[in-house]
Amino acid sequence: MFFHNFKYTLKTLFKNKILIFWTYAFPIVLGLLFYFAFSDIEKGETFKVIPIGIVQNEAFLNNSFYQETFQALSKEESEGQLFQVAYEDEEKCKEMLQKKEIVGYLNLENPSKIVILENGINETTFKFVVEEIESKNKLFQSLLEANGSQNGIDENFIKQIYESVMENRDIPIEDESKSNLSYTMIEYYTLIAMACLYGGILGMYAINQKLANMSTNGRRVSISFLSKFKLLVSSALAGFITLLIGVLILFLFTVFALHVDYGNSLIQVLLLIFMGCLAGLSLGVFLSIILKKNENTKIGIIIAFTMFCSALSGMMGITMKYVIDKNIPFLNRINPANMITDGFYALYYYDTPDRFYLNIITLGIFSFVLLFLSVMVLRGDAYDSI
Amino acid sequence: MTVFKAFLGILKKNIFVVLLYVAILVFFGTFNFKSGNQTFNFEATRPHVFIVNESSSLISQDLERYLRERCEVKEIDEKNIDDALFYRDIHYFIRIPLTFSQDEKVQVKSNGNYEASLGSMYLERYLNLYKIYKEYDLEEKAIIEAIHSALDHDVTVEIHSSLDSKSLNNAASFYNMANYTFLAGCVFVICLIISSFKTEKIYKRTLISSMNYKKFNRYLLFSNALFAVFLWVIYFILSFILVGEIMFSGYGLLYTANSFLFMVLSLSLAVLLSTLIRNKEAINGIVNVIALGSSFLCGAFVPMEFLPDSVLKFSHILPSYYYIKTNELIKGLEVINFDNLKPILVNSILLIGFILLFIFLNNLISKKKQKLA
Repeated sequence: MFFHNFKYTLKTLFKNKILIFWTYAFPIVLGLLFYFAFSDIEKGETFKVIPIGIVQNEAFLNNSFYQETFQALSKEESEGQLFQVAYEDEEKCKEMLQKKEIVGYLNLENPSKIVILENGINETTFKFVVEEIESKNKLFQSLLEANGSQNGIDENFIKQIYESVMENRDIPIEDESKSNLSYTMIEYYTLIAMACLYGGILGMYAINQKLANMSTNGRRVSISFLSKFKLLVSSALAGFITLLIGVLILFLFTVFALHVDYGNSLIQVLLLIFMGCLAGLSLGVFLSIILKKNENTKIGIIIAFTMFCSALSGMMGITMKYVIDKNIPFLNRINPANMITDGFYALYYYDTPDRFYLNIITLGIFSFVLLFLSVMVLRGDAYDSI
Repeated sequence: MTVFKAFLGILKKNIFVVLLYVAILVFFGTFNFKSGNQTFNFEATRPHVFIVNESSSLISQDLERYLRERCEVKEIDEKNIDDALFYRDIHYFIRIPLTFSQDEKVQVKSNGNYEASLGSMYLERYLNLYKIYKEYDLEEKAIIEAIHSALDHDVTVEIHSSLDSKSLNNAASFYNMANYTFLAGCVFVICLIISSFKTEKIYKRTLISSMNYKKFNRYLLFSNALFAVFLWVIYFILSFILVGEIMFSGYGLLYTANSFLFMVLSLSLAVLLSTLIRNKEAINGIVNVIALGSSFLCGAFVPMEFLPDSVLKFSHILPSYYYIKTNELIKGLEVINFDNLKPILVNSILLIGFILLFIFLNNLISKKKQKLA
């Protein structure tokens, strides 16, 4: 009887187009949209060569320090290329600025100034570089003055000081930056979390078919001689298998089509997916037993709850997850979507497994508590008439 | 009038769901909105950094002061540094070691973005000067004075623009989000209401009535326009509250005119979809695919400049592209005159073309379905 019910629940679930849309197709469609929208967004925050203008007047032509530095900084295809420089007269520079072909231009005529259209990081970098050149110019003059009185000023000495100022020194900095810093990954992790929790709809639907107060089918089954426990467990298992297949398809789709990085441990990723599906199913079973509402209301509640949890775990903007983690950590500790998202994040970003296993344990506790409560509520259910 | 009365009756019956949906959409549309005013003086971008200074030497104190002047120093729990870097709360982390003046290295962590590069440039600039002066065997105090003297040069920066680019950017991003709100709102509510007209019995009763299907469609379109205008008015009022002064200028007029046109487009698309869909349960799925799809692909959620070229090329076939493109064009207008408005007019004509196409398709499909019934 267990396998008979399991088989037919599985068939019923796979034949329900609305359920399959929300648990199988919708996360894939959303994943594709994320991919189209986010695939270039991180390129926008990395450094790009800045187009600038320099007014080619007497002040600039007589200043070899500026000329040489800007030449070095705008050398095409070189590693240190910072600018793409247009050397024009002031009118042309103004025109280019208005057309936004350059972010700003430098005019060295006394007093020297930078002209820009708006505040921004490119403009700040431009100003920084001009100040840097000016400070090196000052440094050069001060070293020349300080040492010139002892050594006498000859050409070799000037050259030596100039090289000393312009030399790229081995600056005492130790860079310990991590390598996995792609924040858009969080969006895809929330997608898996969302799919796991949407799976609650499958669990809810499967259980509803066996509850006397929820469906005609349930009433028929209740008066039969069949073991209620076996029926419910086999229905829940069918819901779990359907969900697990859906989430695994989504996982494979994100890996092979969307190139999402889940870190290096496949076993841990699969464990997390398994626990996530269990949490989603427990949620569906619990809500289906605890709520005495019709099926559409229950679906609405599961969708609303899932979207709320997904939003808190970063689906509508990753900052939300960070803000909640930082200010109301308890809320995200009990949020199943965040437990799944954070588990993937821990595997991707951190080298140690502590954070990952903490999420696995909390997901286990979440599922156990909901299933335990469901059994407790269901145990007392009996109807004389309905 | 009969059609309109029936429409009002159904709307009244579903008013709670409709208002809830509108409230959620408007909240979602304005959720990520940040307002701010333009300043016409230069303001340097300040990278967000977190500094741990373990040394008490004069030079390390001076380095910290120098960084604090140029960067936004964040106060967070040290154990959360890695999370803060990942989520871009800080861009750069700097640890000045205890024995910094005896040449121990400064430890840094970066998230690799543009602001982090700027933070790194500030740090390197100071350390470079420190190293140069150290080579000349100067005292620590003398080194600090020399560094100050070398850094004491502030170049003049002039801003040559009459545009309040910050407010215009705010207005553009606010109205870009309307793409999702209008599409999702109109499609969901209008499909929900019209699906009641399309239940088998009522549909067949309507068919045998004396009313022409074109007239019936026209009445439905105008009745639903009431809801669409209601949604647009909410957005219009909110834009004055959230975006502010710029909405009272010519730019504000252009934004509202463009959004009005898009509202009409959303309405005509919703009516067309309601003719195609009869299953109430399918509405939710279709709303999400259409509204989310066009919003993601056309730059409502992620600015157009960050979308890949191939996606932008594809999105040319969607009306949302022309609506959002117009919003982007408006924010870059230095002067509002006929020449500058030409590309905006072209986009508006294309939107009108889409509206007419949707109305035509709706009539065509209605006629075919009428014959089949």
